[in-house]
Amino acid sequence: MFRPEPMLKLRLLMLGSEAQDAALLLARAGSFCPAALAPVELQESSASDYREIWLEARARLDKLLEHFNNLPEVDLPAGAEAPNRADLEELNDWLKEVWTDCHTAHEAELRADEEHRHLETVEATLNRLAHLDVDLGPLLRPDGLLNINIGSLPSGSVERMRDALGITGHLLSVFDHDLDQSYAVIAGPHQRADEVRGLLAQAGWRELTIPPELRSHPDATREWLIQERARIDATIATQCYLMGSCRQHYLDRLLEARVRLALARPLAEAALTGVRSQGALAALTGWVPRSELADVRARLDAVFHGRYWLSVEEPAAMEARAVPSLVRYPRWLQPFVPLVKSYGVPRYGELDPTLPFALFYLLLFGAMFGDVGHGAVILVLSLGLYRRMGRTVWVGLSAGLVSMLFGVFYGSVFGYEDLLPALWLSPMHHPGQVLTLAVTFGAAFIALTLLVNTRNKLAAGQIAEACFDSTGLAGLVFYLGAVGGAASLAGYAYGKPSAVLALIGLTTVAAYKWNETRAGFGERLLVTSIETLETGIKLFANTLSFMRVAAFSLNHAALALAVFTLAAGMGHAGHWLTIVLGNVIIIVLEGGIVAIQALRLMYYEGFSRFFSGDGTEFVPLRLTNPGTV
Amino acid sequence: MSAYLNTRVSLHSSRLWQTTDFQSLLGAADESVPQVLTERGLGTLAAGYTDNDPRSLEARIIALLLEETLILIRPLVGNERAFITYWTQRFEISNVKTLLRGKLAGELAATLLPRLTPMGAFARLDLHELALVEDIAELLRKLEAGPYADIVRLARRAFEASHDLFTLDAALDRSYFEGLAHRARALEATAGAAFRRLMASLIDRTNLIWLLRYRFNYGLPPAQVYYLMVIAHYGLSPDRLRQLSALESVEEVVAALPSQLRGSLHGSTDIPGLFAHLETMAADTAYGVLHSGAPAIARAFAYLILRELDLRDVRAVLRGRHLGLQRDAIGMALRRTHEGGL
Repeated sequence: MFRPEPMLKLRLLMLGSEAQDAALLLARAGSFCPAALAPVELQESSASDYREIWLEARARLDKLLEHFNNLPEVDLPAGAEAPNRADLEELNDWLKEVWTDCHTAHEAELRADEEHRHLETVEATLNRLAHLDVDLGPLLRPDGLLNINIGSLPSGSVERMRDALGITGHLLSVFDHDLDQSYAVIAGPHQRADEVRGLLAQAGWRELTIPPELRSHPDATREWLIQERARIDATIATQCYLMGSCRQHYLDRLLEARVRLALARPLAEAALTGVRSQGALAALTGWVPRSELADVRARLDAVFHGRYWLSVEEPAAMEARAVPSLVRYPRWLQPFVPLVKSYGVPRYGELDPTLPFALFYLLLFGAMFGDVGHGAVILVLSLGLYRRMGRTVWVGLSAGLVSMLFGVFYGSVFGYEDLLPALWLSPMHHPGQVLTLAVTFGAAFIALTLLVNTRNKLAAGQIAEACFDSTGLAGLVFYLGAVGGAASLAGYAYGKPSAVLALIGLTTVAAYKWNETRAGFGERLLVTSIETLETGIKLFANTLSFMRVAAFSLNHAALALAVFTLAAGMGHAGHWLTIVLGNVIIIVLEGGIVAIQALRLMYYEGFSRFFSGDGTEFVPLRLTNPGTV
Repeated sequence: MSAYLNTRVSLHSSRLWQTTDFQSLLGAADESVPQVLTERGLGTLAAGYTDNDPRSLEARIIALLLEETLILIRPLVGNERAFITYWTQRFEISNVKTLLRGKLAGELAATLLPRLTPMGAFARLDLHELALVEDIAELLRKLEAGPYADIVRLARRAFEASHDLFTLDAALDRSYFEGLAHRARALEATAGAAFRRLMASLIDRTNLIWLLRYRFNYGLPPAQVYYLMVIAHYGLSPDRLRQLSALESVEEVVAALPSQLRGSLHGSTDIPGLFAHLETMAADTAYGVLHSGAPAIARAFAYLILRELDLRDVRAVLRGRHLGLQRDAIGMALRRTHEGGL
């Protein structure tokens, strides 16, 4: 819980033809995180082809599933084997065929829809022409003097088209609009028709086909339109039927494909980093927690009966940054994990700060927002949101409880300080005491973070940094001395020893900085002086930063006082309305600010001092539900 | 913020290469090329020099340009940021064209993906998803549902009507540049005459190059050539473009150009020569804007134009060296403007 689990470097060598089964087995174990650790002798990456085929097949399956929504869920059979490359290729080809069938039907359906819209416009056009009593026959005759085109183009292209057509002596006249389409007649000299052809294609011109009989007899429109509509409806119906029958026809095999792709996923995923090969040999490489090694061995023996070679090594010290971190948390602590991970993942070997984070975060929140009533509201709201937010509400629940606890200490209920006797002190009446406590807490917290950082550096083998740097032991000695010195100014004893301690710490830090700086004398002196000075200033500022804990606890009481003052000036109804609204504002506004401030203190005054957060998360191969392939 | 951007641009402008830098690169022994590149601030290109892979070199150049653009747009907001961001998107349009060609040739995703340029922070497309589509029709539909819908919609219509890749490419290019001109127009009031000069130089050059290529290399009819022009009301107005498209020879086109533009072509009438002069003219304009008191956005845009021209020249030298060309032949191919050539 306090540090990532010890990891082992694992290299599994087996026949390339069994790589997919090995990956599946490791995914079932759920304790293998693939990584590029293969020996240099294995230079090929045959699993990359497997991955490419799998990616293609998965993309096709996804598209098909989107077409045939509501496919039933299927379970993954316990002993099912992963498809080999040939099987996967065959499956991929089959999915391509199915997709082509469905896509063709779907495209035809879309086109039929477009034709439908076209037809409606033609109808409107022909109706207008019928009123004009125009005989289209001579106009549209191919051997006439005029080259006439009737059709549509995107509305945005009309002006440009008109200009371009002007070069060839053609005219364009728009007679209708539909969405972003303009319907137009283009007319010009017949001998220049060839010059227009390329232009029409470039502009995405769509010709309206008008049957010959309509050209001489506009009255025949109705019958033609009925026939056309029936034809398009029949096309749509056919395509719908085809889509429906596709679903029926392919359903069983699609469900099977889903399962097979889920089984192929582990090798496809591992291929990204942890699979290399040479000839008939393949190697799966990665990390496994020491505690899981026996289980992995047992599984391998059960399936491969010795047809494998397993190399297990401890990670070398210089590899520490590449080792993934796996920390197992008790259920009650898990809701706090995302708050820590939003800062970073602990480096392998580093202390995991989740438990101290949870404790200190709640403590700071409670201290800044201590009120029995407000805490109870947060508690109830969190309970109400349980279904929607799941386990995350535990953060809200615990924050509400701690707020109530501090409310009892402060004797505050919805800002009223006369309903409950303060078990400890009222911030409003003892501001100096609260400030002193906040700064003392801050000093202890910072000392603790320096101590933890020293431990982390020692664990990482950075001895000099751990002992002599400003964030290590020397920094801690200086800080304790400085805090002792400040305390002696306030009348406490041990003034001289504190000053000596601070001086030793600061001199050590300065000597270390001097030694570490690679520059000329002047620059070295400047850098050392500034960085040493910065050590003192930074620690001082960080300590004072904790005054905000006291400030917010005072602020809480002051806000309540302001609400009461406003309410006192109102009538009976106005009084209670102000009290209720005021408390809502305090809970929402101040509650939110305090939650952020507590997080800020943890991140910047705490984590930044000892938690690198640049670790790699342990992401094991897992067997996913076929529904989520 | 403009003071910050101005300072940034001034600092960046010291990265532009001088003639002497190109001379050093041309004259360096093969093993010292990485060192010459590193000393002149192109360490990222030096790292890939030995692999002799033009795609990798191109990707590194684009990555460098994107990285510098990312720094320059930090202080920008609103229309200025939108304009510079859009300027980078031509690399993504280039990816779209690669995808379209690949799908037309029935290429697999694994073959296509290494040919695409990673767009880093400027990426707007899921290239992996697009590379996995079955055919060009599905690709166009997917693109039409994405951030380049406006650019792709017309191109799809044109492609469906002709099934010709040229039609598709030309429609994409034209839509992209019209989008650029549209975004520039929103800036012209605040970015001043210098910015307008840069845009005029860019759009006029693009139009003239396309016009000559479409009309005389591809033999397209005047109406189609005019239709493919970027209509943006800079030096070459729509009327002038219509008139130029209808002319029958390169000489007639050059003679009908506005006098200032014609003058900068130095009487050249062969198409490659004209392209070279136009590029030199564009670089001169950008150089003038960069070293003037123009608004920060205009100077930043000028820098980006010049930096790209520089890097293309560096690429030409490196490719020429890999191909074993003579130093003089490589030098001839380079665009050197202010210093009087190599």
